[in-house]
Amino acid sequence: METPPGRVHPDLPPPAYRDMTRILRVGLLISLAILSGGVIAFLVLTPSESFQELVASNPIVTYLNLYSLLSGLASGQVEAYLTLGVLVLLATPIARVATGCFFFYRNGEREIAAVTLLVAILLIVGLLVIGPLVR
Amino acid sequence: MERRVLVDLVWYLLILGLVAIVAGFVGSLTGIGGGIVIIPVLIIFFNVPLIVAIGASVITILANSATTGSAYIRDHLTDLRIGMFLEIATVPGAIIGATLTVVLVQGGLAQALVIALGVLLVIIAISGFLRHHPPFVTEFHPDARSRRLGFRGDYHDAHLGHPIHYEAENTNSALGIMFGAGLVSGMFGIGSGVLKVFALDDALKLPIKVSTATSNFMIGVTACAGAGILLMAGYVNALIAAPMAIGATAGAFAGSLLLPGLASRTVRIAFLLVVLGLAIELIVRGVGGP
Repeated sequence: METPPGRVHPDLPPPAYRDMTRILRVGLLISLAILSGGVIAFLVLTPSESFQELVASNPIVTYLNLYSLLSGLASGQVEAYLTLGVLVLLATPIARVATGCFFFYRNGEREIAAVTLLVAILLIVGLLVIGPLVR
Repeated sequence: MERRVLVDLVWYLLILGLVAIVAGFVGSLTGIGGGIVIIPVLIIFFNVPLIVAIGASVITILANSATTGSAYIRDHLTDLRIGMFLEIATVPGAIIGATLTVVLVQGGLAQALVIALGVLLVIIAISGFLRHHPPFVTEFHPDARSRRLGFRGDYHDAHLGHPIHYEAENTNSALGIMFGAGLVSGMFGIGSGVLKVFALDDALKLPIKVSTATSNFMIGVTACAGAGILLMAGYVNALIAAPMAIGATAGAFAGSLLLPGLASRTVRIAFLLVVLGLAIELIVRGVGGP
């Protein structure tokens, strides 16, 4: 078994640390790749917008529901890809919380697993219920 | 004409990226975080409305936290159990805070929020000047919850050359402080690492390296709660947030290659002076009106 460089004895099995590290890194890289591509494509395809016009208008606001997002992605709309990049970035910590929940449950720590599950539910409720309500 | 507009826009986005690189680098190096610089800079120098600046900042914090947080998890310095438990306080706090900001802005109170942000940054800067890391605790008084949930651990301190043991205490106080940290984070789009470290260092009595790593781990989830509300309410502008997220990630990565959180006192004081100056400018602008 790999010896962790920091802790003398790990409190969770090493795959928990490894998987959470991977989720954060992969999620971040995918998100930044989509966002970078989206910004470059926007500059190439929409060159007439000034910075202040950009601040005043929010190009991704049209794609904040699943149907519009999927249609936008299918038809190659740059703004839909920018929305996807932001959503991947938001999904990354949620996936990290879900992974933690899984490992705590498997480790027999039901109370922490339940708390972690509740955190994941709250994040999803905030994103899908409260956000659209205050719009 | 069209070409000139494009060149101007490219320059603006490049400058935003450069600001984020510097904020991410110095923020990571000092352990204070870059969000407290990014929002005032966007408002003061780019005339970005407060809530759009907050939307860009939370996206930047998400990217930043994934960069530094993953390195700490890999090195097993993060106390996953304590971090995940305390997120039950920061996440509702952030959801309430972000909702409150959206409601206040929609109610025409954005200027009051700008003043409040300025005052908050003054407090953060002053507490940063005064803060001294508490010494290692050698006598432990874990409460019942801490014992039941196993809030204890050991890590090998490479600098000291020996293992450090810790056992968390005062979990109720820590939960209260964390709710406040989440509220502040959600309202103003800053990581509120300073408040989190108060809970982890002073209430739970964790060693500084564990508290810094655990705070970084929690900041991403807290920012995610606020970002979700702001995104769906239509206040995350991806074209402003994207270059900042990319820049802050590069800056934080470079900062984490040097000794994160262990920068010289001079760098820390210089950074806090910049924060203080920006905070005062925000208050002046808020009082003076749009």
